This record gives sequence, structure tokens and C-alpha cells, in this order.
Amino acid sequence: MTHEQIDRMVRRANPVRDPNSLGSVAVPVLTTPLERRMEMQIDHRPGTEVQANRNRWRGPLIGIAAAAAILVAGLVFVLTRDNTPVAEPAPNATRLTMSMEFQPIDPGAYFADTDLLESTSLRGTFVIESNGWLGTAAGAMKSLVDDGPYIALFIAEVDRVWSSACESGRTQQAAATTAEGLANQFVAAGFTNTGALTPVSAFGHEGYHLATEVRPSCISQDFTVWGGSNWDGRYYQTENQPLELWFLDVEGTPVLVEATWWPETPEEDVAELRTVLDTLVITP
Amino acid sequence: MASRTDQRSRFEEIWTEYRLQILAYCLRRAAPTHAEDACNEVFMVAWRRIDEIPRPPKTVPYLYGIAGKVVSNHRRAFHRRSRLDEKLSNLGVAPATDPVDLVVQNTEDQRVAAAVRNLKPKDQEIVMLHAWEDLSHEEIAEITGMTAGAVRQRIHRSYQHLARVLEPSLDRQPNNSPPIAEEGGT
Repeated sequence: MTHEQIDRMVRRANPVRDPNSLGSVAVPVLTTPLERRMEMQIDHRPGTEVQANRNRWRGPLIGIAAAAAILVAGLVFVLTRDNTPVAEPAPNATRLTMSMEFQPIDPGAYFADTDLLESTSLRGTFVIESNGWLGTAAGAMKSLVDDGPYIALFIAEVDRVWSSACESGRTQQAAATTAEGLANQFVAAGFTNTGALTPVSAFGHEGYHLATEVRPSCISQDFTVWGGSNWDGRYYQTENQPLELWFLDVEGTPVLVEATWWPETPEEDVAELRTVLDTLVITP
Repeated sequence: MASRTDQRSRFEEIWTEYRLQILAYCLRRAAPTHAEDACNEVFMVAWRRIDEIPRPPKTVPYLYGIAGKVVSNHRRAFHRRSRLDEKLSNLGVAPATDPVDLVVQNTEDQRVAAAVRNLKPKDQEIVMLHAWEDLSHEEIAEITGMTAGAVRQRIHRSYQHLARVLEPSLDRQPNNSPPIAEEGGT
């Protein structure tokens, strides 16, 4: 058979030859995480709309006031500053971004911007020492084989948590504003907790540690447990997948560190993940 | 960064223009029940990265790049369910149907599609992008991170392999296709 004959046969075997035959669907209404959070905070009970409308303007007004204050502070700074050069921190760690998701990253120092906003400084910096790692917006992962076991590390500011995440009556809640509150939300999230919530000091901050696993009955559905600031929900797909979670108080901001691996992951790969964790430092 | 209104209107353009193409891509690689979810997930990622999505003609390769990763994640979930189906079938419960069986009805096409799916994963994706998504070698190169020459070579080798695999079985089939002249024949 010639190349052209095979090409014709393969093209004929196309399961969907004409995409237009699939029909059209209206464009979905899209919201940002910030808009969703504001929507969750609005009281929709009858008689509260006026208050809600007032609340709608509160954010922009606070924003304008804050911008004015920053402008004044900036002017004062410019007019009174000392022009002696100040040393900058060495830019030796690479910022992980959305565009690096699932892209190979070389060995080196990286930092996860916990709210994905360049305008804020809170970050978790860690060092990757071997090849084979992929970047994610909130950390890094290493797939040991294609579509197979992986080890992963995420560092994020959580903005929503699903309570009883694998039950039919699950509800989405705004994340607690303290490390302890956030930890308790995860305790009730629907994992199989393999250890008690324990106060710890880790990665330069005080907080809590929880060892837990993905409950097998949860993976047949969308087992989304939490969402980070400015990115979508984190969901789990593997039975009995172990997770180690730290909920840290970073100068008043709760930060989640998640280390996870598949149950069948070899010991040496889990050890590699722990080596990366040993390098992790979270700075405000 | 574009304003939120600009971002929304750009997203609407992308959705309107490419949604069916992406849905078809997902249907070619996953069961219909998962394909819809995968397609929606592709556009969720597209919305998050709206400022990074290149303008045509690079939009489609970019979206296929996202779709490849999303479908791969969904496939992993499907394989787990398949193992569950196997356990259920031992208990007398009917297993789910394979995605290929669900979408390919014609027997000969089914055999060809199965042969394509038996190629190595990377070759499989390249052949599908070439023959099913109708992308150029350059576009496939952009998605896979290879050179256009390497893509051309992979397609050529994959087709040679498919010819070897399919030829014996086609010889046994009744001749229901138009006759094709042999290469170099007289």
C-alpha cells in the first residue's frame, strides 16, 4: 500500500469527520475567582438586595481610597528618599507561572507565587535537583511514567474549600482566614485522615500538619476539594492517594503546602519529594 | 493585560470559533461522556490563560496542546474506571464500552482506528493530528515540540507500520473499496 492509500484509510477512520455535525452551544457565563468570592459573600435573602447593592460599591471605593493612599505614600517616598543604592535579593529563583503548567523544568530554584499575583510578594521557594520535573502554577510535579504515578508539591493561598467534598450534599465555603480554621476545613473535607491535626513549625512558620488520603469511594466523581486564589479547583483522581498537608500562618496569611504521591510510587521517589520539601522556604 | 471586557469578548470569539473543533478532538480520543467534560476543561484553561492565547493561525495548535494534556488526564481516570468495570463484570455487572467502540461503527474503519491506537503514544497523537485534525507538519511540530521534518518522518514511519499491520487483514476482506493502483505498477 502506498503512503497516500494509508492516508486515505486513516482519514476515513476518523470518528468525527465533520465537527459541524456536533451542533453549537451558547458561550458560558464566565466569572473570575474574585467575582465568585464576592458572589458567595452576597446575602440573597429577600430584603437584602439593597444592602447587597451597597456592598457591591464597597470594594471599588476601598480600592480607590487605597490607590489614593498609595499615591500619597509614593509621593512622600520619592520626595524624602535616600538615594544610596540598596542591594536587591539575588534573582536566582524562577517564578512558576500558568504558562509553565505541565512543561518540563530544569533543575534549579523555583518559587510558587501563592496567589499568582506579581503585585504581592508571598512565595514558596524550593530547589529541584533532578531532571523530569514539570512546572505547575502552584508548584511542581514529576510524572514517573506517562499517565502514571507522580509526586507533586503545591504551595498556595486557598480561597475556597468544599465541605464533605465527595458527598452529594457537598457545599463550597470561603476559606477560613486563619491557618487553624483552614486546617479544620480540610479535616472535614472528606478525606480519610490517617493522622490527627498536629501543631508544627515548618518551612519557617507556625501552623498545623495533617496526614490524609483520598477515600476510594470519592474518585468516581469530581472530587474537588479546594481552590487557590486566582486558579481553579484542585481535584483528586487516585484511590488512597496519600497527602501531607501543612497549614501555615505566614504573617497572618494562611498558606497551604500539599505534598502528594500515588500509593504505588517507589520509596526513592517519595524520598526525592521529601528532599525538595527540605529546601522549601516560605517568605511573606 | 487586556481589560476584563476585552478578555471576555476574546474568549467568546475563541469559544464560537473553535469549540466544535476541540469537542471533535476530544471525541476522537475519549468516550463521549468524558469528551464533553474534557472539552469544557480545555476552555476553562483557555479562560485562565486568555492573555497568553496566540492569534490565528497559532490559536488552534495552542488549544490542541491544552486539549492533549486534559484528555490525557481524563484517560487516566477512564483506565481506573475500566479496572473497576472489570471487577464489576466478574460480579455479573455489564462493563462500560470502550471509547473507540462507542464512536466508530464501520468495521473496516474500526480496524484502521484500532491500528492507529496501537501505535506508540507519540506516533498515535501525531498521526491523529495529521489525518483527523488535518494539521500541517509545522502546526504539529509546534504542538509536540518537534521539528517539522521529524514530524514528517514520524508520519511516514507510522504509515509504513500501519501498511504492514493492515495489509494482511485487508487481503482477506471483500473488495468494498474502489480499486487503488499499486505504487510503481504498470
